[in-house]
Amino acid sequence: MATITDRPTATGPKPARRRGSKRISLADRRPGFVVYGILIAFILGSAFPFYWSFLVASHDDQKFTADAPLLPGGNFFHNAGRVLDTIPFWKALGNSILVSGTVTVSVVVLSTLAGFAFAKLRFKGRGPLMVFVVATLAVPTQLGIIPLYMAMAEYGWSGTLGAVIIPNLVTAFGVFWMRQYIADAVPDELIEAARMDGCSMIRTFWHVCLPAVRPAAAMLGIFTFMMSWNDFLWPLIVLNADNPTMQVALEKLQSGYYVDNSLVLAGTTMATVPILIVFLVLGRQIVAGIMQGAVKG
Amino acid sequence: MTTELTVTRGRGAEPRPPRRDDNDDIGPGKLSWRYRLTRLDVKFSPYVYIAPFFILFAVVGLFPLLYTAYISLFEWELGADEQPFVGIENYTALLADSQFWNAMVNTFSIFAISTIPQLIIAVLLAVLLNTALRGRTGWRMGVLLPYVASLVALTIIFGDLFGVQYGTVNNILELFGVDRIDWQADRWWSHVAIATMVNWRWTGYNALIVLAAMQAIPRDVYEAAWVDGASKVRQFTSITLPMLRPTLIFVVVTSTIGGLQIFTEPLLFSPSAGANGGATHQYQTVVLYMYQAGFQSQDLGYASAMAWILFMVIIVIAGINFLLTRRLASSGEA
Amino acid sequence: MRYRRAGLAKVLACTAVLATVATACGSGGSGTSPDGKVELTIATFNEFGYEELLKEYEAANPNVKVTQRKTGQGAPHHQNLFTKLGAGSGLADVEAVEEGFLSQVMAKSGQFEDLKEIGPKDVREDRWLQWKVDAVTTKDNKLIGYGTDIGPLAMCYRKDMLAAANLPSDAEGVKALFATWDSYFEAGDKYVKATGKPWFDSAAQIFNPMHNQAETGYFDRDDKLVIETNDDKKIFDQVTAAVAGGQSAKLAAWSPEWETGFKESAFATKTCPSWMLGVIEGNAGPDHKGKWAVTAAFPGGGGNWGGSYLTVPKQGKNKAEAAKLAAWLTAPEQQIKAFKAKGTFPSQTQALISPELLNQTSEYFGGEKVGLLFAEQANKVAAAQYKGPQDGEIQDNVVSPALTSVEQGTSPEDAWKQVIEGAKKAAK
Repeated sequence: MATITDRPTATGPKPARRRGSKRISLADRRPGFVVYGILIAFILGSAFPFYWSFLVASHDDQKFTADAPLLPGGNFFHNAGRVLDTIPFWKALGNSILVSGTVTVSVVVLSTLAGFAFAKLRFKGRGPLMVFVVATLAVPTQLGIIPLYMAMAEYGWSGTLGAVIIPNLVTAFGVFWMRQYIADAVPDELIEAARMDGCSMIRTFWHVCLPAVRPAAAMLGIFTFMMSWNDFLWPLIVLNADNPTMQVALEKLQSGYYVDNSLVLAGTTMATVPILIVFLVLGRQIVAGIMQGAVKG
Repeated sequence: MTTELTVTRGRGAEPRPPRRDDNDDIGPGKLSWRYRLTRLDVKFSPYVYIAPFFILFAVVGLFPLLYTAYISLFEWELGADEQPFVGIENYTALLADSQFWNAMVNTFSIFAISTIPQLIIAVLLAVLLNTALRGRTGWRMGVLLPYVASLVALTIIFGDLFGVQYGTVNNILELFGVDRIDWQADRWWSHVAIATMVNWRWTGYNALIVLAAMQAIPRDVYEAAWVDGASKVRQFTSITLPMLRPTLIFVVVTSTIGGLQIFTEPLLFSPSAGANGGATHQYQTVVLYMYQAGFQSQDLGYASAMAWILFMVIIVIAGINFLLTRRLASSGEA
Repeated sequence: MRYRRAGLAKVLACTAVLATVATACGSGGSGTSPDGKVELTIATFNEFGYEELLKEYEAANPNVKVTQRKTGQGAPHHQNLFTKLGAGSGLADVEAVEEGFLSQVMAKSGQFEDLKEIGPKDVREDRWLQWKVDAVTTKDNKLIGYGTDIGPLAMCYRKDMLAAANLPSDAEGVKALFATWDSYFEAGDKYVKATGKPWFDSAAQIFNPMHNQAETGYFDRDDKLVIETNDDKKIFDQVTAAVAGGQSAKLAAWSPEWETGFKESAFATKTCPSWMLGVIEGNAGPDHKGKWAVTAAFPGGGGNWGGSYLTVPKQGKNKAEAAKLAAWLTAPEQQIKAFKAKGTFPSQTQALISPELLNQTSEYFGGEKVGLLFAEQANKVAAAQYKGPQDGEIQDNVVSPALTSVEQGTSPEDAWKQVIEGAKKAAK
C-alpha cells in the first residue's frame, strides 16, 4: 500500500510492460510547416484584439482617427497613469485576485471531488443526480440576479466580497466536466487495485485520481478564473462603491458622454496581465500532463 | 505495485475486468471495526464528495431557479405594487407571441451556423495542437486568447469589422468588386456576422477541452493500430473519436446549452440598440428577448416563463444531441 | 407580496447549513455608524460633478457621512436600480434617475418618497424650470425627484458643408433654416440636391424631439395609448419622407459607425443637447475644429434630451436626511459648482442666470458663448409632455427601431404597422 507513488515521475521505476520502441502516434510526430502555418494564422486572428487594444491604449485618443496607425505609440504609460488616477486600480486588483483565486480553487477542488464520485463510485441516486446537475445548466441565468440578490440580502452578505464569491464556489459545469474527464482518464482497474490494497476512498482519490486529472483541472482552473475575472453585472449590483472588483472599477473609465477609448483600453489591457500570468502558470500544468504521457510511452 | 500504478493509465488496451460492487471488495466475514469502517467509507464517501456541491447549490443556486419558476405564474412587473397570480397565462401568451417564435428561429439559425462548424474546427485544431509542437504552452494558450478579450474591445472591433458603411469587411469586399453587405438589415447576414463572433470567441476554448482529453489516450493504442496498418484517418475515426466519447458528449451538450442561450454576441452586435436584436428583431435571440422583457419591459413573470420554455427546448435538443454523440462516437469501436 | 418573498428566502436560509454562519452578520446597507453618525449613500452614474460637493456637505454637517456609488454608464446604473427595486432592498438612500428612464420610475412612484412631504420645507418648486418639475410630478401631485441637470436642445451644424451647398452658414443666417421642421426639411432637400450627401445622422434623432414637442405623447393622462390618434403618424410620415429624399445618413446614434460618421463628415446637421458638444468634439476630432458650429435655434421651438433627478427610494433608512442631502445638492449654488466641475447643465432658474454659466465659451465651436446659448434654449422648452408608464419602452424598442427599419428599406407603411403593433403589445 505504502508503495503507491504520488504521481509518475520521469525518474520513477521503468514500466514493467515495455512498449515497442517505435513511437508513431500522431501525438509524437514532429509537425510540418502546414501545421505551423495554420496555427500561426489562428493565433494571429486570436491575438488581434489584444494588439489593437494596446495600439489604441498607447496613443493619444484624439490622434487615433480613421486612418489608424499600425504601430504602438509612446503614450501607454501616460494613459496607464491616468487609469491609476481615475480608479482604485490596486484595490480592485487585490479584490479581483482574492475573488477569482478563491472561486477557482474551490471550483476545481469541489468539482474534482464530485466528478470523481459521479464517475467512479457507485451510490444510490447517482444517475438522476448527475442528470439534475447537467439540467441546471440549461436554465438561463440572466433573470437569476434578482432572487439571488434577495437571498444575499437575506443572508446579510450583500456588500461584501463574500456575496461575489459564494454564489460561484461551485459550478455544475465544473462537475460535469470533471466527471466526463475522470470517467475515461482514470482506469477502473487502478481504482480497484488501490481499493484491494486497502486504500480508503479518500486516499484512492488522492493518489489515483488526482495525478491523472491535472490537465483537466488546469483547464477548469483557467476557465473558472477567466469567468470570475470578467464577471461584471453581479459584482456591480452586490458590492459597495468603495470595494469594487476589477471589471466594476474599469467600467467607471467609461463615464461621460464621450468615451475616451485610449483610457478605457489602457485599463482593460492592464487588467489582462494577471490573466495572462494565470494562463502561463496553469498552461504549464496542461503541458505537464502530456510530458507525463510521453514518459510512460 | 508502484510500477503497475504508474503504468496502466491507459484504457482500452486490454479488456476491463468486469465491474464488481464495491461492497464485495471484502467478502462478508468477521465484523471487525476496520471492516465496518470500510463499509461506512464505501457507503458514505460518495455522498460526502458530492455534498459540497449540492449544499452550496441549495444555498445560492436553487432559490433563483425556484423563484423564476414561481413568478412565471404571476403577472410580475418589476417593482410594481401588485403582482396578481395568472396561472399559466404567461405560458399561453408566450406560445401565441410571434416575436417569441421569431426569436426561436433566430436562435436555432445562429446556433446551427455557429456551433456545428465550431465543434468540427475545434476537434481538428485539437489534433494539430496534440502534435509535438515546439513551445506547446504558447500555442495552446494562444488559441484561448479570444476567450480573454474584453467585451469593450470586442464591441468596438466587431463594430468596425461589420459596419455597413465604413466596415472593414465591406471595404475589402468592395476592393474585390463584390457588393457591400448590409450586416444589420439582412437577417441572414446578421446571423452570419454574429456566428462569426461566436466562433471566434469559442473555437479555441472547445479545442482545448478536446485536447485535454486527447492527451489521456494512451500511445500504445495507436501503436497497435499502426502495426495493423491503419491509416491516420482511420486511426482518428476508430481510435481518437471513440476514446474521446465522454469529452465529446460534454462538449456537445455544453455547446448546445450555450448555443441556445446565446446572448452576449447579439447584444454586442448592436450596442446602441439595446436588446432589440435589430430594427425588426431580425437577430433577436430567445435569451435576448427574455432579457428585454425582464429588464426593459420589466415584465419579470413573462420573462421567467420564457426562461422555462427555453429550458425545456434545451433539454430536448441537448438530449437528442447526447444520444447522437454517443452513437457517432461509439460507431468506430469494433 | 413583498413579505412573502422575504419569507421564501428565509425558509431557504433556515434549511441551508451555511446560513447559520451568516445570521450573525446582520443586514448590510446604511443606517447609523458606531460613532453615531448618520450614514448616507448616493448612487449616481456618468459624471454628476458631486465629488467635492459631498465633502463640503460633510464638513457643514459633521454628523453625516456620505458615500457615493458611481457607475460609469447609465444602463448598468439603472439595471442596478430596477433589480433592487424588484428585490425590495439594497438601494442607495439617494438614487439618480435619468430622464430616459423616468417614465418607468414614475410608473413605480409608490416605491419612492414624496419629496414634498419629507423634503425640507424651504425647497420650493420654482427653484427649477417649470417643465423640469412637471415631468417628475405624479398624477396625484407627488414630487418624487429633485432636478439636477438638463439637456436643452439647439442645432449643431457644419459651417463648411452648408456653405459648400450655398446655404447660409453664419450663426444668424442659419436660424431661418432651423426655425420650423418644415424649413429644416426644406433646407435638407436643398442640401441633398446640391451635394448629394445626407443632412442629418438618423431618423430617430429627428423624430424623438419632434414627438416630444407635441401636446400629447404616446399616452394620454389616463394612460390610454393614443399613438393612432395623436400627431405621431404625421411626424412619422414627415420624417420618413425626408429619409426617402436622401436626408438621413442612416447612422444609428451611439453605434461605432455613427462615431466614425463624425470623422467622415457623413452629415451636416445634428440635433444638439448641451452635452452633445463634447461628444462631437471627441468624435469629430481636432481635424474638424472650427468647422462645427452651434446656433441658438431649434426647429419648432425648444426641446430637451437628457438630464437627471435625485430620488429617495422608500426602502432607505434615513429618508429625511437623504431628502435633505438631495435638496442641498440640487440647490442652484451647488449645481453651478457641479457645472464648473463636470459641465452638467443646471436645471435651476437661478443657476441659469449665473454669470459663471453665461460666460462659458467653447473653443472647439468657434468661441461660441455656449452657456448663454443653452440657457436661452432651456427657456424655450414648452410644457412637459405627459409620459405614460411604457413611454420609454415604446420610444426605444418600438418607434426608433421602426424608423431604422425604414432606413434599411422597409416601406413606411409596413413600418408604421410595426409601430402600432409594437406599441399595443408594450402597453398591454
